[in-house]
This record gives sequence, C-alpha cells and structure tokens, in this order.
Amino acid sequence: MKYFKIFVSLFLVLFLFSCTKLDEKFRSQIETNNTSNIKAADLLVSVYNTIGGSFQGNGNIWSTTTITTDEAIAPTRGPDWYDNGLWQALHAHTWNADHEFVNNGFLEMLRTQFAASNVLQFNPSAQEAAEARFLRALSMYWVLDGYDQVPYRENLTDYKLDPKTLKGTEAADFIISEINAVLATLPDTGPAYTANKNAAKALLMKVYLNYGVYANRATPTFAPADMNKVIALADEIINSNKYSLNDNFFDIFAPDNDVKSTESIFSFFNSASANRGGNVRGFAFMVSHYNMNPSGWNGFSTLSDFYDKFQPTDKRLGGYYNYPAALPNPGHRTNVGFLIGQQYNLTTDAPLLARNPATAPLSFTKEVKINEPDPNTLEFTGIRVIKYPFDYATAGDQKNNDYVMFRLADVLLMKAEAILRGGTGTAAGSYGNNAKDIVNSIRAKRGATDLAAVDLAALLDERGREMYWECWRRQDLIRYGKFLQAWQEKDADAGTKNLLFPIPSNQLAVNPNLTQNPGYN
Amino acid sequence: MSMKRLLYAVFMPALLLISLSALAQDRVVTGKVTDSKDGTPVVGASVQPKGSKTGTSTGADGSFRLSIPASIKTIVISSAEFERQEVDVADKSTIDVSLKASSAGLSEVVVIGYGTARKKDLTGSVASVQAKDFNKGTYTSPDQLIQGKAAGVLVINNTGQPGGSTTIRIRGSSSIRSSNQPLFVLDGVPLSGGSARPGGFGNSSANDGGNPLNYMNPNDIASIEILKDASATAIYGSRGANGVILINTKRGKSGAPTLDVSASTGLSNVAKKLEVLDANGYRAALKEYGITSGDFGGNVDAFDAISRTGLTQNYNVAVGGGTENGRYRLSVGYLDQQGVIKTSELKKISANLNTSFKFLESKKLGLDMNVLVTQTDEQLAPISAFVGFEGNLISQALQWNPTHALTKPGTDSAWIDPAVGNTTINPIAQLNYYDDRAKVNTIVASIAPSYKITKDLEFKLLYSVNRSVGVRKVQINRLLNEQGVEGRGLAGIGNNQETNTQLTNTLSYNKQITSAININAVVGYEWLTFDDKGSFLTGKDFQNLGLNYYDILGYSTSADRNLGSFASPTSELQSYFGRAIVNYKDKYLLTATFRADGSTKFGKNNRYGYFPSVGIAWNATKEDFLAGNGFINNLKVRLGWGKTGNQEFPAGASKDRYGIGQQSLTRLNFQNPDLKWESSATTNAGIDFSILHDRLSGSIDYFYKKTTDILFETTFAEPGPPSGTIWKNLDGYVLNKGVEITLYGNVMNKKDMSWNIGTNISFLKNIVQGLPGFYETGQLRGQGFSNVRGQRVISGQPINVWYLRQWEGIDKTTGKDILTDGGSTLFYVGSPNPKTLLGISTDFTYKKFVATVSMNGTFGHYLYNNTAATVVGIGNLGTRNIAKGLLDGEVQESRANAPAPSTRNLEKGNYIKMANASIGYRVGNIGKSIKNLYVALTGQNLFVITKYTGFDPEVNTDGGFNGIPSLGVEYIPYPSARTFQLGVNFSL
Repeated sequence: MKYFKIFVSLFLVLFLFSCTKLDEKFRSQIETNNTSNIKAADLLVSVYNTIGGSFQGNGNIWSTTTITTDEAIAPTRGPDWYDNGLWQALHAHTWNADHEFVNNGFLEMLRTQFAASNVLQFNPSAQEAAEARFLRALSMYWVLDGYDQVPYRENLTDYKLDPKTLKGTEAADFIISEINAVLATLPDTGPAYTANKNAAKALLMKVYLNYGVYANRATPTFAPADMNKVIALADEIINSNKYSLNDNFFDIFAPDNDVKSTESIFSFFNSASANRGGNVRGFAFMVSHYNMNPSGWNGFSTLSDFYDKFQPTDKRLGGYYNYPAALPNPGHRTNVGFLIGQQYNLTTDAPLLARNPATAPLSFTKEVKINEPDPNTLEFTGIRVIKYPFDYATAGDQKNNDYVMFRLADVLLMKAEAILRGGTGTAAGSYGNNAKDIVNSIRAKRGATDLAAVDLAALLDERGREMYWECWRRQDLIRYGKFLQAWQEKDADAGTKNLLFPIPSNQLAVNPNLTQNPGYN
Repeated sequence: MSMKRLLYAVFMPALLLISLSALAQDRVVTGKVTDSKDGTPVVGASVQPKGSKTGTSTGADGSFRLSIPASIKTIVISSAEFERQEVDVADKSTIDVSLKASSAGLSEVVVIGYGTARKKDLTGSVASVQAKDFNKGTYTSPDQLIQGKAAGVLVINNTGQPGGSTTIRIRGSSSIRSSNQPLFVLDGVPLSGGSARPGGFGNSSANDGGNPLNYMNPNDIASIEILKDASATAIYGSRGANGVILINTKRGKSGAPTLDVSASTGLSNVAKKLEVLDANGYRAALKEYGITSGDFGGNVDAFDAISRTGLTQNYNVAVGGGTENGRYRLSVGYLDQQGVIKTSELKKISANLNTSFKFLESKKLGLDMNVLVTQTDEQLAPISAFVGFEGNLISQALQWNPTHALTKPGTDSAWIDPAVGNTTINPIAQLNYYDDRAKVNTIVASIAPSYKITKDLEFKLLYSVNRSVGVRKVQINRLLNEQGVEGRGLAGIGNNQETNTQLTNTLSYNKQITSAININAVVGYEWLTFDDKGSFLTGKDFQNLGLNYYDILGYSTSADRNLGSFASPTSELQSYFGRAIVNYKDKYLLTATFRADGSTKFGKNNRYGYFPSVGIAWNATKEDFLAGNGFINNLKVRLGWGKTGNQEFPAGASKDRYGIGQQSLTRLNFQNPDLKWESSATTNAGIDFSILHDRLSGSIDYFYKKTTDILFETTFAEPGPPSGTIWKNLDGYVLNKGVEITLYGNVMNKKDMSWNIGTNISFLKNIVQGLPGFYETGQLRGQGFSNVRGQRVISGQPINVWYLRQWEGIDKTTGKDILTDGGSTLFYVGSPNPKTLLGISTDFTYKKFVATVSMNGTFGHYLYNNTAATVVGIGNLGTRNIAKGLLDGEVQESRANAPAPSTRNLEKGNYIKMANASIGYRVGNIGKSIKNLYVALTGQNLFVITKYTGFDPEVNTDGGFNGIPSLGVEYIPYPSARTFQLGVNFSL
C-alpha cells in the first residue's frame, strides 16, 4: 500500500503537469519558414541600406579608399585622433590584417552580397531580382577591388558550408556575367537611387577599365578590347541623353541633389524623413572645427600638394555656394570645397577663434603633419574639405543629400582614359572623341582653363580634381601605378603587398577557402 | 491564475489566521530563553514537551508560556544556531534557560534548493550567511549583504549610484560570452536576472542598468545560502554553472504577535575625489606651459558643485506571529537614499507578506503563501560610460576650467559661455537641464500547498508569478549645449514589462530507514516561462512652456520622432530533477542529484540537457579512534563531482530570423539547430573542521572547474547576415581552479566579553584554452580612443587579458610617449581577474556594547584607469582641467602628445577596504512596552588601502564589446559614497 502511494505520487509529480512541447515562437521577428510574410521588396530596402551605409562615414570604405591616398590625412591633434593608431596606419600604409576599418570594408560588402542573395529566395519580381543582383555585383566588385578574393556564398542556410572564393579576373568575369544577365531587366528611367541600366553600365566600365589591374596589380596591362568596351559603354550612357554636366559643381552633392544633379547615374537615397542606411553629415563633422557650424570633430584634412594641383579659378575648389539649405552667410564666405585660411561664423560673419589657444584666429593652414608637433597650432593645421554641402535646413540627424556612387563626369573621364590606354575614340554627345576634348569639356564647366595636351599623368590629376573624396582615389592610384610611391607624410612602400588589403585574420581563421594575400603573413 | 485571484487567495487566509486557537493543556510552565554568549533573548526558540510535536515558541523578549500535561517531566528547547537543550521541569513552573551556540552550526538546517538538509549532512560546498552576519548599513539589494562574507564569492559594486548594479562571480568567470552572474532563488522562486527598467534616451542617460534585485528589501532576509560546487548546484541543472544564491526571507514565528521596528538615517559623501588642479594651480600650469589664454580669473570647484551630502532614511516595520498551525509575517519597508551626486535618488517602498498554515485534523495539508510588492522610484544622474567626446557629468566636472565661473555672474543659472568652447558642457547645465526618472513596480507572489501522503512522504506544489513593470522618462532641455539637443530639446518615454511564472511539483521522502540509515530524497518537475515586452517613444524640438517635455511628446516635430516596440520570443524551461541524501550512522554521507532541463532556446537537435552530480563525505569524528578526542571536535572530509550548465544566451539564437526595420526586413542571423547549454564539470574536495572546544572552526575547499561547450557568438565565414556572428558551442574550454579557506575563531568568550573573528580567503586561477582566433572586448573610451578595445579572449591567457602597448615614459625632447617598439606591438600585460579574494569579519561584545567590522579585498589583478587616460590628460590644458599629478614628473609632457592606450594607465587593482563598521549599544527593555531597544552607529566604505589612483578600485564600468563582457575598466563612473548612519531597532 505504501509503495503504491509512492508510485502514484511519483507519477503525478512527474507527468501530470508535463505537457510543454517547448516550441519557440517569435513575436517581434519572423521565422524563415514563414515565407508568406517575408516580402522581397522589404528585404531589398535593407540591401540598399546596407551598401549605402558603407560609404557614408569615416570608419569603413571611405577611409580605406581616401585616407590611404594623397588626398587626405587624419593627423593626431594632441589627445585627439590617435584612436589606437588606426588612422595613421591607413595614411602610412602600415595596416595589418586586424585593422578595423580595412576589415569593415570587407565585411560590409559581403553582408550586402548575402542580403542581396537572400532577396532572391523570396519570390522577387523580375525587377526586384535584377536590382538585387546588381547590388550584389556592386558589392562583390568592391571586395574584388580591395581584397582580390571574393567569398561567394550559395547556400544561405547552413553556416557550416564554407563560401567558395572567386579570385581576381575570375571574380571580375562573374561580376560581368551577372550584370549582363540583369541589364535588360533593369529600368531605363527612374531616380538615380534605384538600380538602373546606366548604373549597371557604369559598373561594367569600372570592371573593364580595371580588368588589367585585377589580372596583375603590380604591373597591369590594359587590353584594347577592354578599353573599347569602356568606350562603348560610356557612349551608350551618354547617348541615353539623360545626363549633362552640372553648371554648378556642388549641385551634384547638394541636399536637393536628387533633383538638382544632372550628373548622377547611381546614388544612395537619403532623406530627412526616413532613416536609411547612410547619412552624409559625418563628412562635415569629421573635418569641421568645434567652433564652426556644424560643430565638428576637427579631424581630417587634405594635403597641400593635392591642393596645389588646382588652378585658382577651378570651381571645384569651392567657395561660396548659395543653396536653399545654407546658412545666411552674409559675407559670402567659403562653405563648400576646400576650407583654407580664416573661418567665419556663417550666420553673423564674425571671424571665428580657435578653442585652444582661445585667442588664436581659426585659420586653416596648408601644411599638416601626421603627428602634429606644435601644441599651439594643433587645431587649425590642414585644409578641410566639404564636398557635400551641409543641410542646415534639416534640424534632424538625417540629412537629405543623396550619396553619389556613379556620375557622368566619372564616365567621361573613364572614357578619356580608355582612349589613352589604347581604345579607339568615338564621338558621343558634345564631349569630343579624344581624351583632350573630353577632359577640356569637363574643365570648361568647372571653370578651369583648357589643357594643351592630356596624357595619362594629366588625366590622373584631373580625376583627382574632379573625383576627390569620392572613394575612387585608391583605385586610380593603383591603376596608374602610383599607390606605392611616397607622398606627403608617407614613405614609399617596400614591396607590393599594399596594392591589396589583407584578408581579415578572423575571416581567415574560419574560412579555409581564403588564403592570406601575399606579404601579410 | 489571474493576479487578482492569486492576491485574494493569499490575503484572505492571513486575515483568518488571527482566529486560530491554541491547544488546551493542564499545567503551565513559564520562563525566559537567553543566549549564553551575551544574555540577549533568543526569539522564536521552540519550546516543546519532550516526545511531543506541539508546543510554543519564545516571544520578542525570549519569554514563553507553555501548558503541559501533568505527566510531562522534561521540556525541549531548540532554536537554529543553538544547541538543543532538555530541561527538567518536574517540580518547576518557572525556568530560565541559557542556550549555547551550536557547535559550528552543525545542527543548523540549510536550504539547499527544493528542500533543506542538516548542515552535518552536506557533502557539497555551501556557504550560509545568517542575517546577524550580514554587512551592516543600508543596502538596496541582497547581494551587497554578503560581499566579503563567503569564500570564493566576488561581489563588485560596479558604480556608486544608489541601486547600481553589481558584478558577482562565484569561483571566477567560466563563461566568455554569456552571463557569469549566478542564479538567484528567492524562497524557492528562481529569478530571471532581468530587470523591467527600460533603457534611457539621449547620449548621457545612465548606462548602468541598475541592480535587478533592487525590489527585495534586505531587511526581510533571514539568510543567504551560496551553493558553490556542482554537487550542490546540479539540482539547478542548466542554470547552475555559475553558482546559485538562495535568498530566504524571514518567517513569522509561532507565539504572540511581535512588532519589530527599525529606523535609520544616514549621511553620505563622495568617498574619494579625483585630484584635478584648482584655479591657482591651473594658472600656474598655464604659465609653465606658456599658454596665454585659458584663465578666466575665477575660482571654482566643479566637482563640489555637482556633489552633495546625501541623506538616507530607512524605516522597516514587521509584524510576525502565529501558532504551530499558522504563522505569518508582514513587513513594510521604506528607503529613501539620496546619491552623493546631486539629483540622483532611489526611493523604495516594499511590502512583504509570507504565511504558512497547516490544515485538517491530521495537519497533513500545508499551505505557504508569499507576496512581495515593491516600487522603486529612481532619479538618475546623467552618468553614462557610453558617451562621446562631450563626456558625462563626471567628466564634465573633472574637466571644467577651474578659473571659469559655473553660473552666470549675477544669476544662479548655468553659464553656457562659448568662450570655454562651444562643445564644452557646463556640469551645472548638464545637471539642471537633464531629467531622468525610472519607476519599477514588482510583484512576486507564490502559493505552495503541500500534503503529507504518509509520515515520510510529502507532496508540494509551488506556483509563482514574478511580474515587473518599468517606466522610464527622460528629458533634456533645449538650453543644454549638447550637439543634437541644443536649441531642440529631447524627450523619451520607455515602457517595459517582464512576467515570469513557475510551476514546481516536488515529492520528498525523509525517513530513518534503520537506526543507521537515514534517507532524505526529493524528485520533482518544474516548468518556467519568461516573457519580456516593451516599447518606447522619443521626440525632439520642444519649447520651454513650463511643462515637462515627456508629458507633451506631441509637440515634437514629426521627422524626429522615433518609436519602437518588441516582444521577446516565448521562452520556457521544463525540467525533471531528483536528489537523494543518504546518511549512514552519521559517519558516511552520500548525495546524488540529477536534473534534466529542456529549453525552448536550445536547438531542435539538443532539446534536453542532463546534469548529474554525486558527493560523498566522511565524518571522521564519528569514528572510534577520534571519539572522545578533546582536541578535534569535528572533522569531515568531502568529495564531490558534478556537471552543471549555463544557458544564458538570447532566445531565438537557434533559428533563422528576420528583423523588422523601417519599411524593411533584414535577415538577422544564421540558425544553429545544434545550439545547447554550456557545460561545467566541477570537482570539489573539502575539509570541515572544528578544534579546541569549537573555538576554532573552518573549511578548506579545493575546486577544479572545467567549462566546455562554451557558449559563444563566434565569427562565421562571410558573407552572412549582419550579425557577423553565430551562437555556437565552442570546442575550447575555460578552466577555473582554486582554493578557498574559511576560518572562524572564537578569540575570547567570557561572561561580559566575547570576540569572534571570521576570515575567508580564496585563491583563484583562470585560463582559456582551445579557442580559435581571438575576440576583443574591454572598450576604452574618450577623446582619441575611438575604436579601442583593451582586452582579449584568447587561448593560453586568462579571460579578458589586457592587450596593450607598453609605455616606457615620456621622451625628454619631444614630450611625447615612448612606447616599446614604437607602439606598433601590443603585449599581454596582465589580467583583470583577481587572483586572491579576502574577507574579514569580526565582532566584539562587551557587556551591552557590540562592535562589528567587515573588511574585504581583492588582489593580483589590473585595472585600466580610463578616466586618467582620456579625461584629464595634458592636452586639455588651456581649455579644460587636467589631473594634478601630471605636472609632478621630471619631464614636461607635450600638449601635442597623443595618448595611446598603453600600460601608462594600467594599474594594480589590489585593495583592502573597510566595507562597514558598526558600534551598537543594547539598551534592552524600556518599560513594559519597548523591548530589545538597540542603537547603533554604522559607517560604510570607511577607508580603502590601495595604490590605485582612480575613484575606487572596486569598480567595473561596462566595456563590453559585441556582447563579450569586460572586467576591470574604470571610466568616469558614479563615485562611491562613504556613509555614516544612526540606527535604532526595537520590538513591541
């Protein structure tokens, strides 16, 4: 009887209330198998956000393609900007496989690839699929350009299956085939911030122009066939008659550039009323002094040699730019382009003072050192660069300027370069059929005098003047064989390893299909 | 069961309780029971006729009145912590009994999870801290009561903020990624460890999440048991790996109702200020550096302007009583603690009712019901570690130029003067223009019927609900010159709620099988559910209309409104468990436990985890060769082994999920259907001893804890979802081993004078092995320290090892840092994990005076003084203030020196602290009504002996990165307080 009681009680205790199956249910997230609730259109938005954000800030692709070149430097200013040596390593070309910003560029582009591939899993429309594949190709292109090895994941479910690696021209060929596969489906018209045919063609131009670099970074050769493709694609873009050079250079980057820019071929949408992946305001903060408006972080500068490449009349140097979202600026002081000399309060026109020493005028000097040595001039060495006019009209954190990825002037300069590199010049639009005419047609718009002759060196300089701080300088210097040379506050590189960024060591540790790029072991 | 019905069910019987009657008897014995040590009354001692289970217990003054049948010749008096005593009452009607403290507490009953055990039957490592041994003073949460009181238990007050969080490590850190906090169990109710207090809004909203245990009233706690080794914690299975802390609240004692009252009031001040230059020193420094600007002619101390003497008031009233068949205790507490930084304050109102009844003629049916209701009301100071260059209130005060007035001349309003830099925030403005309030209401209710099926077999059901609702309201005035706030204003409201339920069935069997064998066994089933929900709203662009921004959110501009809401995935835990304790002749002891845990969080391929343990002990003093030995009074050898788990990873990690963004969806992660708990195997060997007539007793334990299947969010091969990581069980392991020694000595024991000393010391060692790659954590912050992590988790090193540049000094010619290898190489330069923990407690009694002192210390670890590194550096000179010591060196440091994260600011963390000391006087009874009046003066955090130069070596600013916790960073924390208070207790 007693044992019976024990037995019955045991049974009650252990089994009477035991009915839970332990199924996990989500309430603020969606499970993968719930496919009917996962819309491809919603996923596509996050692909645009992911890739757009990677270029708009100071800690990712922007810094690895800009601070690493002769057009920008991030000096230490007393206690500011050492940041574990990250910035100095970029300018001095001493980064390693653990460099955070070098790693970020790799990771963010690969995450774009994954997010884009993921869109394809959820019954996208033909155009949604084409947009996703274009964005995926674009992300893979940036990985190829920086790191040579492009991990590509086909199975999106099992993390244990290692992505395969596409290398060099193999990756370039894959990107070309992807773009060609979707070109017909991409829209002809529509805003620049939606993937479109001309955006895809501009990307193809970049791949073909650099194809020789992807085959051999140290001593690239450029096949005439590739150059002719660049020219043909440029002509198709020009002949679409959708674009013309802007009369005012800074309209391309203005807060209302979605309507004012006649050059934008592909951009990333930003809006004060919608939180997207990117935000160009960081470009102003990272150069702006504390006492300026916007009150910034007093960081990055350009270098005097780079500044000296410009003619004084060149509108691309900036100056007073009158735009709807500007401050009153009664003295018509420089508010875009290269900020040099005395700075002013753009509301009252009072000259600004530095913070320490507080009696010194805030006057940006040309010269700048990677470790500023003089405690009395720390704050105002170096010319500051504002390419995206600051959107003062928007009080909020999100600014309206769209970030520009591809634009007409770049397409024209690429065409001119292709001609110089052995392509056959053709006439399209009103820009001429040779490098000199094409370059001079741009220069005329920008207020610079015609060049008497245009060779490759001149073209590289022109690219610098036109495309400064737009994430193309590193690629251009490599293509022109100049990336390893010495320039201000940087010695010549020993060896050629720095033509490629290293594969992040933490990725190397988990993906057996990656090998470290030469020289980084 | 709905909350309302549950409350009703709990309160009704409490009211009925009063009518329960006593039993009829024949003759009356009265008397008084006192403590032999000091003659104080022993309250609640059980007084029973020998051989009977009925009886009474002593009242607040130790007196009792017992009716017994004429046939009874002997009565038995017993009380926990005292030796049982039999008194012959054959020809007496009045007796005075003096009870002796039990031999090292061996007859104590210890709560061990799902039951109790006699302390002498324990085979595992269990530390028990009784209320009388708790830290003295005012505490907001129970974990602070045991700091320094148990070997192997590290308690760090992370911040000095009233109600701030603590870090608790039992026997070191064994997890890398998931929480290392132990499991807390309140009267059988396991707690989730979460808090319903929503996060803040704006840059400087206090980052410290507050202590999730704040809702408990330390005054209601009778004892805290700490289960340390696996043979003790395996009964908690997948949540036992970091140790288990059992909190047991005070219970009513049978007898006439007693009313206990305590009141205290205290004053707190900043324990240590950092030395920055005063105005004259600043002017001298400007001169030394040849700076002509930066002197505004004034003379202010900004730190004084933000700090104050805080007033603390604490009142507690408790009523308890009952009969053998129904006992109750109802307490109400009120705490109002002002922080030492202006505006910060914690108010807490708590009410706690617990009851215990027996029903039926046979008294076989029992019912326990408990309700705890608390409201905490906090006002938080703007002290966040997660700030950018603008800093927080502490850094703003430290950096304030001492020559510049804080208030505008002729007014008392904060002076926002662009002349000191338009990004320099006046700390007075930060204080006045910032308003951050958090209110959390918590209710923990439980009902537990039990039924004795046979004499030895008892069934018990425990159902509990633990619900917290938190509201946070923040506003930052548009007058504050903070980027993004100035001219705009910001406000936000957050709401969170947490609801957890528990259903536990146990069947316990307790029988003396033969005269030699005793069995104490339990089996059970448990089902737990956890639920979190929340939402928030923020807005910008307000005007000062004489109203709180957070009350007029609708005024904000639509473009800058932000809102969100979330509900956690359903989370459930279902478990089966059992334990048997076998005692053979009190000589050989065996404990075996087993638990199976199933969790919704585990991957579908690993839904259940199994956690066994076994412990044996040999009580050598019961052997013939030691029997009658005058030297050794007790000698027990223990050996235990067991496996326990840790399942502190976020729900949802085992499945592919899509997150919601604005008009978008994002794939969040990779699924891991194999995901499971982390597993720790612990071996523990220990000796308990007592010698010299119990004058010296103690324990020595050795443990070896190997944690495998480490839960970690590891990097996967990209491309993948934006998390970049996947929750996995790693192949590597973490090893914690150490020795713990606890000694308790009775130095003096005379009639009028006694002196006891308790000491515990632990030696800990920690190492990570077999981890692929490395992971960074230990975020260091401040100007020039963006993207800096100072710690790594890597094989062959202790968890969170410091990885920094080596600093060799300042270069005489350039005035800049000299770093080993030019700063291009980083080194492993020490561990933030203490190697040695020390606790010392002593109490001294002379006649009616009682003095107690508690000290604690940690040794052998390094702290990073991030405050010194980036807040008060030389580069500030000319605009902001600098540390005083900077000018003392032989070499003048250049203002252009760019400080690198280096060993320059890595400091030894060794300290010993007088955590609290109290001196009290037992007034005794006053008249007929006031009993046991006791008055005490207590000081908390009286002094620290350390070479650490920051605020307080007891610090842990959150520097976690990618979810990997950090340890040992100090960054502009809320400073610790030193408190003096006067308290009075009495009973009615």
